[in-house]
Amino acid sequence: MNGDYSKFLQTFFEEVTEHLSVLESGLLTLEQNPNDVEVLNRIFRSVHTIKGAGPMFGFTTMSRFAHEVETVLDPLRNRKFSATREIIDLLLESADCLKMLVEAAKNGTVIDENKTMLDLEARLETCLIIPAPAPDQKATSGPPSTAPTAPAPVTSVHRTYQISWIPGEDLFQRGLNPLKLFEEMGRMGTVRSCVLSASRLPDLTELDPQRCYLSWTCTLETDYPREDIESVFEFAATPGGLTITSLPSSSAAAQPTQEPDPQLAHSVIDEEDDPRLAEVFFGQRSDSLGVILVEQRAVTPAQLVKALDRQETLRAKAKEQKVEASMRVDTEKVDKLVNLVGELAITQSMLSALGGRFEIEHLPILQERLLQLERNTREIQERVMGIRMLPISTAFSRFPRLVRDLSAKMKKKIQLVISGEETELDKTVIEAIGDPLTHLLRNACDHALEPPEERVVAGKPEQGTIRLNAFHEGGKICITVEDDGRGLNRDKILAKAIKQRIITGNDILSDDQVWALIFRPGFTTAEELTDVSGRGVGMDIVKRNVEELGGLVSIKTVTGRGTTFTLSLPLTLAIIEGMTIRVGQDKYIVPLLSILESIQPKADMVKTLIGKGEGVNIRGVFYPIVRLHEVFDLQPEHKNPEEAILLVLEVEGERVVVMVDEILGQQQVVIKSIEENFRKVDGVAGATILGDGTVGLILDVRGLMKLARQEQSIAV
Amino acid sequence: MSRVILVVDDSPTMRGMVSHALNEAGFETTEAENGKDALIKLTTMEVGGAKPDVIVTDINMPEMDGIELVREIRKLSAFKHVPVLVLTTDNTDEKKEVGRAAGATGWLVKPFDSELILKVIRKVLP
Amino acid sequence: MATAAAGTTQESGQQGIEAEDNQFLTFCLRDELYGIDIHRVKEIKGYSAITKIPNMPSHIKGVLNLRGTIVPIVELRTAFGMPTIDYTAFTVIILVIVRDRTLGLVVDSVSDVVHMGQKDIQASPDFGTKVDVKFLSGIGKSGDKLVALLNIDQLLTEGYMQEAAAATA
Repeated sequence: MNGDYSKFLQTFFEEVTEHLSVLESGLLTLEQNPNDVEVLNRIFRSVHTIKGAGPMFGFTTMSRFAHEVETVLDPLRNRKFSATREIIDLLLESADCLKMLVEAAKNGTVIDENKTMLDLEARLETCLIIPAPAPDQKATSGPPSTAPTAPAPVTSVHRTYQISWIPGEDLFQRGLNPLKLFEEMGRMGTVRSCVLSASRLPDLTELDPQRCYLSWTCTLETDYPREDIESVFEFAATPGGLTITSLPSSSAAAQPTQEPDPQLAHSVIDEEDDPRLAEVFFGQRSDSLGVILVEQRAVTPAQLVKALDRQETLRAKAKEQKVEASMRVDTEKVDKLVNLVGELAITQSMLSALGGRFEIEHLPILQERLLQLERNTREIQERVMGIRMLPISTAFSRFPRLVRDLSAKMKKKIQLVISGEETELDKTVIEAIGDPLTHLLRNACDHALEPPEERVVAGKPEQGTIRLNAFHEGGKICITVEDDGRGLNRDKILAKAIKQRIITGNDILSDDQVWALIFRPGFTTAEELTDVSGRGVGMDIVKRNVEELGGLVSIKTVTGRGTTFTLSLPLTLAIIEGMTIRVGQDKYIVPLLSILESIQPKADMVKTLIGKGEGVNIRGVFYPIVRLHEVFDLQPEHKNPEEAILLVLEVEGERVVVMVDEILGQQQVVIKSIEENFRKVDGVAGATILGDGTVGLILDVRGLMKLARQEQSIAV
Repeated sequence: MSRVILVVDDSPTMRGMVSHALNEAGFETTEAENGKDALIKLTTMEVGGAKPDVIVTDINMPEMDGIELVREIRKLSAFKHVPVLVLTTDNTDEKKEVGRAAGATGWLVKPFDSELILKVIRKVLP
Repeated sequence: MATAAAGTTQESGQQGIEAEDNQFLTFCLRDELYGIDIHRVKEIKGYSAITKIPNMPSHIKGVLNLRGTIVPIVELRTAFGMPTIDYTAFTVIILVIVRDRTLGLVVDSVSDVVHMGQKDIQASPDFGTKVDVKFLSGIGKSGDKLVALLNIDQLLTEGYMQEAAAATA
C-alpha cells in the first residue's frame, strides 16, 4: 500500500476504539437477546471495519484476528446459527484480545504470535462446526402482531411471481378492501412493484363511486407457494380476473435488467494497461463468468420467526429515531467559551441592576431589551452547558461487563440493574467518578453479596441484585449503589475498629458514626484478601475522590438486608435557579429546588418543645426552626419568627425550616467555585457574582442542617 | 473543469484516506457515510445541476449497503450512467457477481492501492 | 488607587530572598513597613465590598469578586494581632499568589517598590516585630527605614489557613 497515511492514524484509532466499545456492549445485549439481528449486524460491521482498515496501516495481525471473529459473526447474523452462551463468552474473550491487539498497535509493540490470540483463533475456527439448533423458536419476544398471517409455507423455495389482478366491479359492495389484500401479500414476502391500471375508469359523470374500476399488476417475492397467494384473492377475484405467473428468480431487484454500463465502453482493457484492471472490471474476458447467483435471502424461517422479524424491524425503527450524531469537541475551547458565557451572564445581571435605577421615559425600552438579553444569555448558557454535559451512561458503560465477570469469578449470581443513565453531568465529573464507583461495585460483589447457598438459607432469592441509579436533586447529582446483600455489621466493624485502635472500647458511637468508620484508611473487615478488594485501601480513596469533587458519600444499611451508598456530587459549572434572601445586611442565595414553601408564621404556630427546641407547626407537623443568623453568626433584623420569614427547605427527604429577614427575589445564578482559591465552607455550596458586582454565597442546605445540629448540641 | 468524486464509506478514516488519495491527484471529492446519505447527497447535487463524475462506495454500511446503493443509483435517470466503483474487503466471486449484476462498474479490494484506483478512475472517466 | 500588575516570569523562591536583585513591594500597617517579594504580587486594587464568609476566624474577612473569580481576603491587621481601623481612601488590597491560589491582603496603604540587595537583608531578630518571627523571611533596610519582609507562603498557608481549617472543623 502506497502513500503516506500516517496522519490518519489518530482518526483510525479513535474509530477503532469506538467500534470495540460497540462490539462489547453489543455482545452483552446479545446475551439477553441472542436473536437480535440488528445487534448482530452492528457488531459484524464494527469488526468488519477494523478488519478492513487495519492493513492500511500495516496492522496485519489485528486484521487477521478480526477476520476470524468476523467469520463467526457472519453466519450468526445470517441466522444460520444461533448464538449460544458459550459462543458469546468466546466472542467476549475475543473482543478483549482484539482490544489488546489494538493497544499494542497504538504503542508500537509488535505482536506476532501471542498464545492467547492463537488459542482464541483455534476456538473461533471450531466453535461453529457443530451446528447449533436453527434460530431460536421460543416465542419470547411477543406474538405475531396481527391475527391472520398466512400459514407456514410448505416448500422453502424462494420465488418471484407476477400477479395480475382484476377485481370484480362489485368488490366494495361485497365489503372487500383491496388495501387489506395488499397487506396480506406484503406479509407473505416483498412486493417489489405494484402498477395500477385505471384503464377501466369511466368519465367522472358516469362514475359510480361504489364500483371498483381499478386493477393492479404486482411483483411479489415470496417463499410461499402459489396456492397461498391464490388464497389471498379467494373471495376477491372474478373468474379469470387473477393471473399469477412465476418469474425467473433473481436476487437483484425484479426491475428492468441492468443495461450494460455505457461508460464501460471507455474502459476497454488493452495490453498496455495494468494487468490488474481486468480483475477490477469483472474480468472482461470472452469466456466470462458463469458464476452462479447466490441467493441473498436466508433459508426459510418458520412462521414464528417471521413474526420475530417484524418485531425486530419495528424495534429497529424505534431505535432509529434515537440515534444521535455525536461529535468531538475540544474541551479547552469549550472551557474558554464557558468562562466567556459566565462573564456575559454577569454583565447582563449588572445591566439589569443598573436598569432598575433609571427613571426616564426610555425605561420600558431598556427593560425590554434587557429581557431579550436575558433570554439570549439563558439560551447560550443552556446550549453551552449541554456541550460539556454528557450522560452518565458513559461512566456506567463498563459496569455490566465488570459485574458479569466478577459474579462468574466469585461463583455468585449477581445481576446489575442500571437506571438514570441518561442523567447528565459535567464531563470532568464523569471522568473522575468511574474509579470510586468501580470500587463500590467490586466491594458489593465481593463482600456484600452472599454466595447463592447462603442467600437461599437466608430466604433471599438466589440471585443478588445491585442497583445503580443516578438522578438530579437540588442542584446536585446523586448516584446510588444499592445491594440486597449482607448489610453492614455494626459489631464486626466496632470490633475491628477497636482492634485497629481507631476507637477505644469506651466510645459510644451512633450508627452513622459506626458506618463512617469503614472509610478510614486501612480499615477492612474482610477475613482474607482477595485480589478484588479487601486490602482496605479502597473505601478511603472513594471518600477522598468524591470529596475532592466537592461531593459527599453517605451510607444506609440494614444488617442482613443490604446496603446503599449514596454519592452526591455538585454539577461543576452549574447554573441554578436561586432565591435571594436577606439576613440583616447579608444576602444569601437558596437553591430554588430545595424550597418547598415560605411562610410568615402566626404567633400560635411557633412553639418551643422540650427536647426539640423552638419549632413551627405547619399543617400539623412540627419542624425545628433554624435561625440562619445563629448558624452563620450574622446580625439579623428580626429575632422574632413572627416578624421574620420562614423558608421550608427539603433535601434528600429531610426537611428543615430556616428563618430569614426577607425574600428579595428569584434569579438565575451561575455557581462559581470558592474552593479554587480558598476551601470548602460548611453550609455554603458555592458563590456567585451578584448584580452589584459583589459576591453572593449560595446555601448548601444539607451542610446547613448539619451545622444547625452541631449548634444545637453545643447549646444543649 | 474539476472532476468531482463521491466517496461513500461509514468509516471516517477510510473516507479521509480515499479522499486524500483522490485530492492529491487533482480530483475534488464529496463524502457520504452510507447508502442513504449518498442518495441524499446525489439528490442535492442534482438540484444544483451537478453530478459526480465517479462514485466510489464501500459495501458494508448501516442504513443502506453498497449493493443496494448501486441498484438505487441505476434506477435514477440522472445518475444511471455514472460509473460506480465498489471498494470493499470482499473478494469472493459470488459477491463480485452480485455487484456486477446490480450495476457496479468496477470492483476494488481493500486495502486499496491509490495508484490502482487512480488508473481505474482515469479509465472510466468520459 | 493605582492598580499595578506585577506578573513577571521570574521564579520566586519560597523565602523571598534570592541571591540577586530583589524587589519588594512595601506597604504600611500602623506605623510599620512591611515588604513582599514583587514576584508574588499579582495586582493591587482599591478596596471594594467583601462578602463575609460564615464561621471563619476573624482575620479572614471574606471573599471578593476579581473579574469573575472568587478570591479570599485576609485582614492583615487582624492576622498580626493589631486592632483594626476604618477603611480610608488609601486602604488597598494586595493580591498575591500563594502556591497556585490567589489571595488578597488588606493593608493600610501601599508605599514603594524598593530594591534591596543581599547585603541589605538580615535574618529576623527575635524582638521588636509584632509578627511571629517564623513568618518573616528577614528584615531589610531601605534608605533609613526598616522593612519587615514577609514570607507569605508561611504566613498564609501554614499558620493562618491551618487555623482557619481547625476553627471550622
